[in-house]
Amino acid sequence: MIRIRDLTFYYGDASKPALQGVNLQIEDGEFVLVTGPSGCGKSSLCRCLNGLIPHFYGGKIAGGMEVQGLDVMKSTTKEMATRVGMVFQDPENQLVSMDVEREVAFGLENLAFARDIMAKRVEESLDALGLSGIRYRGVHELSGGEKQKVVIASVLALHPDILVLDEPTSELDPRSAEEVLSIVQRLNDDLGMTVILVEHRLDRVVHLVDRMIVMDEGEIIADGPPRGVLANGDITSVGAGVPPLVRMVRRLRDSGFDVDDIPLTVKEGRAILKDVFRGAKVSELPKTESTNSGEPVIEIDKLWYAYPEGLTALRNVSLRICRGEFVAVMGRNASGKTTLVKHINGLLKPTKGKVRVAGIDTQKATIAELARKVGFVFQNPNDHIFADTVEEEISFILRNLGFDGTEMAARVDEVLEMFGLKEHRRQYPRSLSGGERQRVAMASVLVASPEVLILDEPTRGLEYRLKSELMRFLDRYRGEGNTVVLVTHDVETVAEYADRVVLLSGGRVVVDGNRRDVLSRALFFSPQINRLVQAFEKYGVPNNIITVDEAVDILK
Amino acid sequence: MISFRYREKRTVIHKLNPFCKLAWVASVFVLALVLNNPIFLLLLFLSTLLLVITAKVWREWTSFMKYAIYISLTIVVVNTLVSYQGTHVLAEAPFTIPVMGTPTITLEAIIYGMAMSIRLLAIISAFAILTLTVNPDDLMLAMIKMRLPYKSVLVTALSTRFVPTLISDVERIADVQRSRGLELDKCSLPKRIKRSASVIIPLLSNSLDRTVQIAEAMESRAFGSGAKRTFYKDIKMSRMDIVTVIAGFAPSVLGIVMLILGFGDYQYYPTLGRMDLSGPEWTMLPILALVVSSVVFLAFLKRGVDLD
Repeated sequence: MIRIRDLTFYYGDASKPALQGVNLQIEDGEFVLVTGPSGCGKSSLCRCLNGLIPHFYGGKIAGGMEVQGLDVMKSTTKEMATRVGMVFQDPENQLVSMDVEREVAFGLENLAFARDIMAKRVEESLDALGLSGIRYRGVHELSGGEKQKVVIASVLALHPDILVLDEPTSELDPRSAEEVLSIVQRLNDDLGMTVILVEHRLDRVVHLVDRMIVMDEGEIIADGPPRGVLANGDITSVGAGVPPLVRMVRRLRDSGFDVDDIPLTVKEGRAILKDVFRGAKVSELPKTESTNSGEPVIEIDKLWYAYPEGLTALRNVSLRICRGEFVAVMGRNASGKTTLVKHINGLLKPTKGKVRVAGIDTQKATIAELARKVGFVFQNPNDHIFADTVEEEISFILRNLGFDGTEMAARVDEVLEMFGLKEHRRQYPRSLSGGERQRVAMASVLVASPEVLILDEPTRGLEYRLKSELMRFLDRYRGEGNTVVLVTHDVETVAEYADRVVLLSGGRVVVDGNRRDVLSRALFFSPQINRLVQAFEKYGVPNNIITVDEAVDILK
Repeated sequence: MISFRYREKRTVIHKLNPFCKLAWVASVFVLALVLNNPIFLLLLFLSTLLLVITAKVWREWTSFMKYAIYISLTIVVVNTLVSYQGTHVLAEAPFTIPVMGTPTITLEAIIYGMAMSIRLLAIISAFAILTLTVNPDDLMLAMIKMRLPYKSVLVTALSTRFVPTLISDVERIADVQRSRGLELDKCSLPKRIKRSASVIIPLLSNSLDRTVQIAEAMESRAFGSGAKRTFYKDIKMSRMDIVTVIAGFAPSVLGIVMLILGFGDYQYYPTLGRMDLSGPEWTMLPILALVVSSVVFLAFLKRGVDLD
């Protein structure tokens, strides 16, 4: 059992508390979801549970914490490690050994277990996660999902009573994420292990958990069974990504429909909403206009690309993207998405075939020349940021491209205004919050006013509020006649914002079409709302609805 | 880049005891320093190839040696250009440099440079074999068994573990900054240094973040909890293993014997010495090859014993 009383914590010399007056009691065997915007204190809460706060992270602390009858403040690392297992976000930064078996044994070695007990524990843990097949493999040969499973196994080997996972899936592709989550669910179901899971993609987990805690600014603002918390009004404002199904039901309730329950899965949704759809007069879905008629800005013709090591990543890709289009590039890991978009700004040059951007053959232009036409925003803003001030960071590209002083100043002022960064212009960019850093990274690319903007998985690991802020911005930018190419795994975002979806597989374009045609009537690839309405086709509901707005509009 | 890393392979060399391979590498190092005769050095280098072939790490080994060849060539060129000793003058400059004298190219300097590079190649080849055939975790364990402090060994092992991660970080950040118009090759040196900060600073601060995260993950698994650590795997020492370790040291012993007998030495300056192929020294050639590669035969023998 976990008991936290009036816990307040300040990191080092921070002036704002990371946790403020937290009171919490978690019973044995509970599966608890913790969510909230970045910086809300959810990671700090996790760190308290195994004593990283206050033993590893110093600071000011008040209140009491008791885990499995132990006072956390007075307990040693050793005592905590055998009671609370911790899994963090990036598996890459948790693995210390070269091979799987030894990684799993790492904690046991630290606790000086005898070799025969270690052998048994390693065996069980590998078995529990289905890793026996890869036990002798080198850790560096594993995929992200496999690595995270190894991390979980190495934590399980210590036989903890409580498993704490701090955003364990945000560095993983959707399939590996599902796998990791289903393992966690099994540990809770079969072993009765207490699980505390931090996650911001709620649609993946709400149906698995017993209890949901929402945090904001270091405080717990909602706590209860997920249905109750989701039905309650004020959690959207703190940036928790409410699943589309729940959003839809809440919208329907607001417009007077009588829906008595909150669905957490598509299956529940079909049962709960059956009567609503059967009874309603369904209006026609407005025709989607094709945007693929303008002047082409990106022309990719029979593109082949092979990496110097010999791997062929793109095979005969032809693509025409027009001015003003919003194109989502999707596909499994290693399907060639990133390789494809790196050709658009010249980071990669075709092995065979041609790529033309705004009339320029990329083969004949440098990346810097193309940078005036094409902006490229990478996933992690921390890879962008190096300067001493926000202003310098943003003007870097202009200086590289040889802009003169007055024009530079004018442009920097303009984007600072546009991204709401004016008051931070002289601040050190790394000290900003996650969302602000994301805006600095965007501003530092858009200040050169490119006609084409490429984003490589910008929403991975991004909480809902920041994600919708980013997407609204992209929508506006596109509205000014610019072109957006977005590489993503996030089906819900694509359903809402993109016009066109290009699906890659094994380096080939397998599907290229209007988002509605591509995303509807697929099995797992469809957004939640589409999977819901597929069952209501018999009531005359169009089976190609993909967003909450459309579903609600059609019932009016 | 991947090819620099250890990969699990099931060859007899991979299965050899890590202590045996450590002893063998140390021996090759000793021999390389003791021997002076270019023929002996070349034979030493060639003897290491037998292990490369048996361990099936030819491709990985070549990528190590590619860099070694560049260094070797540099040694030959630099030695030829700065060492003016030697009596067989092949070319002479029409001017004189104060202190150093008249630049000349001599046959002695060229041969000496080549002998030095072969010596270097032999050493690098031996270390390449060690890295490519010993699991870094086993190497770490071997170091600890040799009474090196655990924490220092772990830090060393961790830093090698993160080299590939660091390389992919550099590549990614360089892509980010090149997309922002960074062109290092096109600007002057001071500017270049200033602008390369755009790659170095994100790299350093990301690595710092990473360090904290690793420490956190290790602490959560009771690292440094005070108790004396145990080890999941052990390096087993069968009688056969002891034999292989002794075989690993054998070339060192041979080297010392040769040093005492004055074999394997050679005079480069001022005039290249005459090699008298009929002397007793040359009977050492096959013995050297045999002793250096004896671990390979023992490796096969060990497999036979292990199977019994």
